[in-house]
Amino acid sequence: MTHVVSCEGIWKSYERHRAVGLKSLLVGAETPRSDTRFAREWALSEVSLRVPRGQAYGVIGPNGSGKTTLLSILLGTVRADRGRLSLDGRVGSLLELGAGFHGDLSGRENVFLYGSILGMRVAEIRRRFDAIAEFSELDSAIEQPLRTYSAGMKARLGFSIIIRSQADILLIDEVLAVGDTRFQAKCRLALREFRARGGTLIIVSHDMKELAEVCDEGLCLDLGRVVDAGPIAGVIARYGERMEGARSRA
Amino acid sequence: MLERSPRQLAEFLYLLARQELKARYRGRFLGYLWAVGHTFALAFVYWIAFKLIMQLDAPNYSVYLVTGMFPWAWMTVASIRAARSYVANAPLVREMGVAHGILPLSNVVAEMLHFILALPLIIAWVVLAGGHDPSIAWLWQIPVMLALQVAFVYPIALACALANVYIRDIEPMLGVAFSLLFFATPMVYPLSIVPEPLHHWFELSPFHALMDSWRTVFIAGTLDLAHATYAAAISVVTGALAWALYRALSPRVGETV
Repeated sequence: MTHVVSCEGIWKSYERHRAVGLKSLLVGAETPRSDTRFAREWALSEVSLRVPRGQAYGVIGPNGSGKTTLLSILLGTVRADRGRLSLDGRVGSLLELGAGFHGDLSGRENVFLYGSILGMRVAEIRRRFDAIAEFSELDSAIEQPLRTYSAGMKARLGFSIIIRSQADILLIDEVLAVGDTRFQAKCRLALREFRARGGTLIIVSHDMKELAEVCDEGLCLDLGRVVDAGPIAGVIARYGERMEGARSRA
Repeated sequence: MLERSPRQLAEFLYLLARQELKARYRGRFLGYLWAVGHTFALAFVYWIAFKLIMQLDAPNYSVYLVTGMFPWAWMTVASIRAARSYVANAPLVREMGVAHGILPLSNVVAEMLHFILALPLIIAWVVLAGGHDPSIAWLWQIPVMLALQVAFVYPIALACALANVYIRDIEPMLGVAFSLLFFATPMVYPLSIVPEPLHHWFELSPFHALMDSWRTVFIAGTLDLAHATYAAAISVVTGALAWALYRALSPRVGETV
């Protein structure tokens, strides 16, 4: 089986690279070192995963467990301190709602800007524009400035762009939850078609029902470590038990 | 990984620069007039202060001011906006990965487009208020100067953008730094009124070399080769330094910003 996405032994620390101000340069910055959930030394430690072509892979875990960091490393925007990484194909990503969008530009102009951020040529975006607009169902609102959009409308636009781009691998972080039920169903259908064409999907979500429906396999992160991996149903079930256990301890 | 060809990057640069200008003009012709009018108004203020009140001995002073202040505004506005570009577009930087050096370049290009849009008014001022003849040589001199200025300003803009990610105080300091530099450069006064023994210090300034090249092009219709070459040589050096800085810092920019 060919793996289009694989990473092995990824380590990542944010500790050493923090923005400084004049004050901390003069007074000296205090460096908090603790192993709590949100301020530990290693954001990710020894994370490995392999995703074969056409598979949908879910990433779950509590807040601050390193899910978004993992996606950013796969996307290449955050560099791992250690580990090997390989992605085979064009990557499309929807990591932050409204990332790469500009409020003063219309929806149409933002399609071009975002497509360009994803690495598409203008001619290509122009060719796909109608399909993108149609999928988004934004109708004439696509000519309105983006600042007039609701979160749901932005999510529609963002998702429409990446699903109608030429990406072979899609990285999606928690953005589908803002769409309405009907649009979510439409997205799930589109993602199924995407996979049927040989597309590979990595998705971060807290919506276990959605993950169970969309994904085949997955992993669970906690404190930056892979605590569980395998077929998604089992991972979700054990994650539920773990959360339950944490609650009864607390 | 994202694949980016030079053509794709050029298109991306164009979209970013257009977005920048659009946001600045807010899509209105009046927005363009405001943006151009600002520099003219500033020149008018200096004209009142130095010519009318302080009786500065400088022939054709208003043309001297206008032909210097537009390229100066290009440099400072582009650098200050570039300093903000990473921090203000943090989600974009996080999402686009390695090619983010294009962001400050888009600020420089946007300000260049703004300068080009202002050119008819600058030329009208030179011809009508200054009484200089339009020169056919401008057709090659101005493009050469545009390229030189991009090469000169981009390293500054890139360095400001990168530095501001790590030291957030860079951006507010830039305004003060550029004001100091503005008065340390013969911009509102001609070099001729500076005491003779200090002249060689002023001649060392690459900012003076660049701005004076612009003025000579507009006023005399000649390209000052000594000044232009000096500014170009400095651009090569600062370009190499900025590139080294970019190579060193860019992998961490996405997560730090």
